[in-house]
Amino acid sequence: MEGVVVQFDLGVFSVEAVKKAAYKYINKFSTDFALQGQSIVCSLIFTQNTPQDSIQFYIDDFRKEVLDQDLREKIKKESEPLRNLILAHAFSKTTLVEQ
Amino acid sequence: MSKFQPVSFYKNKKKTYQLTPFRFLKFNQEKYFLSNMTGEYLLLDRESLGRLVEHRLDDSEQSYLDLRAKQFLIDDTNSIATDLLAIKARTRYSRLPEFTALHIFVVSLRCDHSCQYCQVSRQSADKLKYDMTEEIADKAIDFAFKSPSRNIKIEFQGGESLLNFPIIQYIVERSKKLNEVLCRNLDFVIATNLSMIDRDILDYCRLHGIHISTSLDGPEDLHNKNRPRPGKDSYEKVIKGISLCREVLGRDEVSALMTTTEASLKRGKEIVDEYLKIGFSGIFLRSLSPYGYAIKTKSFAAYQTEQWLDFFKESLDYIIELNRSGIRFQEYCSAIVLSKMLTSSDPGFVDLMSPAGIGISVIVYNYDGSVHPSDESRMLAEMGDNTFKMGNVLTDSYEQVFSSQALLQPLEDSYTNSVPMCEECAFEPYCGADPVYEYAMNQDYIGRRPESGFCQKSMGIFKHLIERMEADPFVKNLFMDWANRK
Repeated sequence: MEGVVVQFDLGVFSVEAVKKAAYKYINKFSTDFALQGQSIVCSLIFTQNTPQDSIQFYIDDFRKEVLDQDLREKIKKESEPLRNLILAHAFSKTTLVEQ
Repeated sequence: MSKFQPVSFYKNKKKTYQLTPFRFLKFNQEKYFLSNMTGEYLLLDRESLGRLVEHRLDDSEQSYLDLRAKQFLIDDTNSIATDLLAIKARTRYSRLPEFTALHIFVVSLRCDHSCQYCQVSRQSADKLKYDMTEEIADKAIDFAFKSPSRNIKIEFQGGESLLNFPIIQYIVERSKKLNEVLCRNLDFVIATNLSMIDRDILDYCRLHGIHISTSLDGPEDLHNKNRPRPGKDSYEKVIKGISLCREVLGRDEVSALMTTTEASLKRGKEIVDEYLKIGFSGIFLRSLSPYGYAIKTKSFAAYQTEQWLDFFKESLDYIIELNRSGIRFQEYCSAIVLSKMLTSSDPGFVDLMSPAGIGISVIVYNYDGSVHPSDESRMLAEMGDNTFKMGNVLTDSYEQVFSSQALLQPLEDSYTNSVPMCEECAFEPYCGADPVYEYAMNQDYIGRRPESGFCQKSMGIFKHLIERMEADPFVKNLFMDWANRK
C-alpha cells in the first residue's frame, strides 16, 4: 500500500527521534522508514477509513512530535550525568547499591 | 551593613545554567507539561520550553525563576539543587527496600453472592475443598513473616472470607503469637460483603484490632443489581452490617469500596450521595478490571475507558463542589495521585508503582497454597492462566517463590523507565506499571502505550486533576489537603 511521504533532514534530526515520534502514532498509522542520502524518508500508511482532514492533522502533529523528540534528546544528553549523580547520591546510604 | 543580601546577590552572575533531568509532554494547545524526577511539575509555553533547552532563557523571566525554584535548572545561586533532588528521590523510593507489606490470604473461594463483575471466579458455597486449611495457613504465615517489611498487613479475602471464619481466627492468633518475638507492626483486615457478620464475629475483631473492608456500589437498586444474592437483599445486609461494625468497632474501623458497572456510569452523584448518607468521609472511584468473571460475563467490555473517565470526572467535580459548600468529602484515587504530584512521598499504591507493585508491595496466598504476585494475577489463575503463579507454599521455599521468573520477568519488562513512551512520559512519576493488566489484555507485559486502556485511563485522571487545580485556587488548596492527609 502506498503511503503519505514525509521527509526529515538527517543533519537536523536523528533516526531515533523520528522513530520515537512514529511509535507514538502507532494507533493512527504505520510507518515505513528509509534513508535516502541525507534524508529520512517516512511513508505513513493510514487505514482506508481515515478521513482526509484527519490525515493532514496527524501528519502535522507527527512533524511537531519529531521536533519535541529532538528537544528530549538534548535534555537527556545534557542532564544524564547529573541524573546518575543524583540517583547514586540518593541511594548511597541504602543497601540497594553495591558498595 | 544590612542583615539581608541585596536583590543583585540572587542574580545568576555567570548567566549560564545547567538543565537537570526532566520530561515534558504537550498538555493542551497553549501549554507544555514539564515534570522532574521527583514529580514536581510546571506548565510552560512551547516557545519558552525551546529557549530553556537552548539556554536562552533570561534569569529575569518569571518562568526562569519558577524553573529554578523547582530545580529544573541549576545556576550559581542554587547549587544546593542537586542535594535537594537527591533527598526527594530518596524519599520517593523509600518504600522499595521495605518490600512486601500487604499479604492477602484467600481463605475461601466460596461466596453467597453472584456478582456479574466479580473479579474473583467464585465457587459455590457448598464446596469445602475451596477453603484454606491450617497446614496452608501455617506455611503462608511463615512466608509473610519472612518479608523484611516492618509493617505486615494481613488481609483476608474470598470469595466471601467469613464463610471460613475459623481459619481467620487461626491465622490471627498464630500471627500474633509469632509477632510477640518478631515485633512487626501487624494489622489485619477482613474484606467481606457483610452478609453474615454478627456481634460475635465483631467482638472478636474488636479484641484483635481487625479492620473491616466491604463493598458498597451505590443506592439500593444499583447495589442489588450489581451484587445479586438469594433474597435480593445485599444492600440491606451491607447497610445493617456497616452500622453494626461501627457500633462494635468504632466509626473508622469499617471502610467500603465501589466498583463501576455500566449501570453506574450515569449515576456518579447518586453514588457519592449514598456514601455521604451512610456516613463515609470519602469514596474510591474504581473501574472494572479485565479479570475473572468480569471477562467471562463480558461485563468488563460493557463500557469503554472514555465512558469511565467521564464518570470519574463528573463524580470528582461533584465532590469538589460538595467541599466548596462546606461538606468535607474525599476521592481516594485522586488523593493517591495528588500525593505523588504535590509531595515527595509515594503512597505505594500497587497499580501506580514502578517497579510494579506486584510481589514487591503485595503478595497473595491462595486457598490451595499457590502464591501469586497480586489479586488480579490470582484471578487469572482461577481462569486457568498460571503465567504469574510464583509457586506454592507447600512445595516451594520463600527464596524459590520470590526469585521465580513468573515475578521477575514481568517486573523487569514493565519497568516504566524502560518501556517505550513511558520512559519519556512527563506523567511517569505519577504513574506505574501494571503488567498483569497488560497481559490480560494483550498477552504481553507491556502492551503498546497508544493502545493501552491503562495508559488512557491514567493519563485522563492526571490531566483532569492538573486542569482542575491549575484553573481554580480553591481546588488547588483542596487537593493540597488531600495530598497531605494520611
